[in-house]
Amino acid sequence: MKKTGFLYDDRYLKHITFAGHPESHHRLAAVIEELRGNGLMERLHVLQAQPAAQKWIEAVHNIHYIVRFEEACLMGLPDFEHQDNSICRETYDIALLAVGGVLQAIDAMMEGRVDNAFCAIRPPGHHAEYAKAMGFCYFNNVAVGARYLQKHWGIEKVGIIDFDVHHGNGTQQIFENDNSVFYYSIHEHPSFAFPGTGREFEVGIAEGEGYTLNTPILPGRGDMDYRKKLTTDMVPAFKKFQPDVVLLSAGFDGHCSDLMSGVNLTFEGYRFINETILNLVNRYCGGRVISVLEGGYNLEVLPGLVSDHIKMLLDI
Amino acid sequence: MFVSETMATELITVTPETTLAVAKELMQEKNIRHLPVIDGAEKLVGIITDRDMRDAQPSSLLSDEDYQRTYDQVMHHTVGEIMTHDPLTITVFYTLQDTLLVMGKRKVGALPVVDEDGYLKGIMSTRDLLRSFVNIMGIGEPGTLLCILAKEQPGQMKKIVDIVTEENVSLGSVMVAKCWDEDKRAVFPYLMTVNVARIKEKLVAQGFELFDPMSWYLDQLPGKKEE
Repeated sequence: MKKTGFLYDDRYLKHITFAGHPESHHRLAAVIEELRGNGLMERLHVLQAQPAAQKWIEAVHNIHYIVRFEEACLMGLPDFEHQDNSICRETYDIALLAVGGVLQAIDAMMEGRVDNAFCAIRPPGHHAEYAKAMGFCYFNNVAVGARYLQKHWGIEKVGIIDFDVHHGNGTQQIFENDNSVFYYSIHEHPSFAFPGTGREFEVGIAEGEGYTLNTPILPGRGDMDYRKKLTTDMVPAFKKFQPDVVLLSAGFDGHCSDLMSGVNLTFEGYRFINETILNLVNRYCGGRVISVLEGGYNLEVLPGLVSDHIKMLLDI
Repeated sequence: MFVSETMATELITVTPETTLAVAKELMQEKNIRHLPVIDGAEKLVGIITDRDMRDAQPSSLLSDEDYQRTYDQVMHHTVGEIMTHDPLTITVFYTLQDTLLVMGKRKVGALPVVDEDGYLKGIMSTRDLLRSFVNIMGIGEPGTLLCILAKEQPGQMKKIVDIVTEENVSLGSVMVAKCWDEDKRAVFPYLMTVNVARIKEKLVAQGFELFDPMSWYLDQLPGKKEE
């Protein structure tokens, strides 16, 4: 059994979206209830969250964008830049706390207090671009984490694996010129699914060419294509890149009962995804992985999928 | 959707007297494959394409020395000698649909756009056409495509649009296809949101069928239907 960190803070429930919005605080509440009920919580090493210092947000995002976002929250606007991005007065602070949570989890792992960690945070981050909020995301939690690993901990090569069912356009955009961060995403095909990017021919730009890899999955192809493509696309790419640390954009919205997508993954499919990724991580970066919650909107299956994911991190 | 709104208007033109050397350099520098040819009064008199240029150039199988000698001679000739005279043109009142059909039928890669007096106003290339269809489909911006099977009867589209409007979501585009099922149509709204769960639920509650595009694809495979 591994020593797995679990980063969570009740304040994450204070980012309140409009009634009926899929990215609601009920998501995390349901996950926590499940982990307490099934005894997993006792086996986890609970980590405390602190807000991220603004300099780390600025390592990824445009300063004017950061200020615009803060102002929108303080003014009590209902959303930021698009009606999908529902906000409340607390959203800015909670978004800082979400990024901060990832940084705390990274510290815990790098200091050897835990082997790996899962960050049960919100708002999610992988759609947030350098200067654009999108798809419920404001700050790109994983992207800031990658820069923090490099600048604060001196890690050279960071691998990001994004298995949220939507393409992480924000993470891709932030690192597409960069050959020190490898971004891999597997997601529903962009002709059908938000945000309409992440095609096979998007492979990075200039120095970053060859350091972005996308696997679009056609609707309904579920477990079968994920199995095939992870093996043929992701595994060889990571063998070649050999990251020092891996960050996961862990989205659970590809399940067949989640109406946000149509790829039709099952619990079994998710277990295969987890297993394949963790095998890579154990083999190439000494098991150093920080998993960060992105999407997953069906409250009936999200807690179970997260539990399974955490069991794999714990190696039990 | 008139071509006047999407055609390229920053025109790069040559005259019949322009040498092939200059024309070739222009094409390479500006990364274009068609040059409209205008006369002294700026009326369109022809078009020259990269294919015309290649036809005029010496064979790449010649020895370097022969190639260079012939090449230098060829490049002193003028556009007027090899251009297509009186090329197929369209007017600014052509629609994108007209252009699409005419390009397909006449197998040309670009069409000069002229006014009633024959003066050049713009050019529509396949690249310009592609760009305008990306715009029409709305796929340059983030969104989600729904795949809905609707009964072939009036009022179905209104129901769909009403549900989308109730959820305060913008439409990027709507494509409608005649369906493989009798009495049904396939409707593909491109919604400018990630938040489609409630819209899907409401559609199903109103009796629409959301279909898996892959099942359609499999149905289209040869032999599948006869089984």
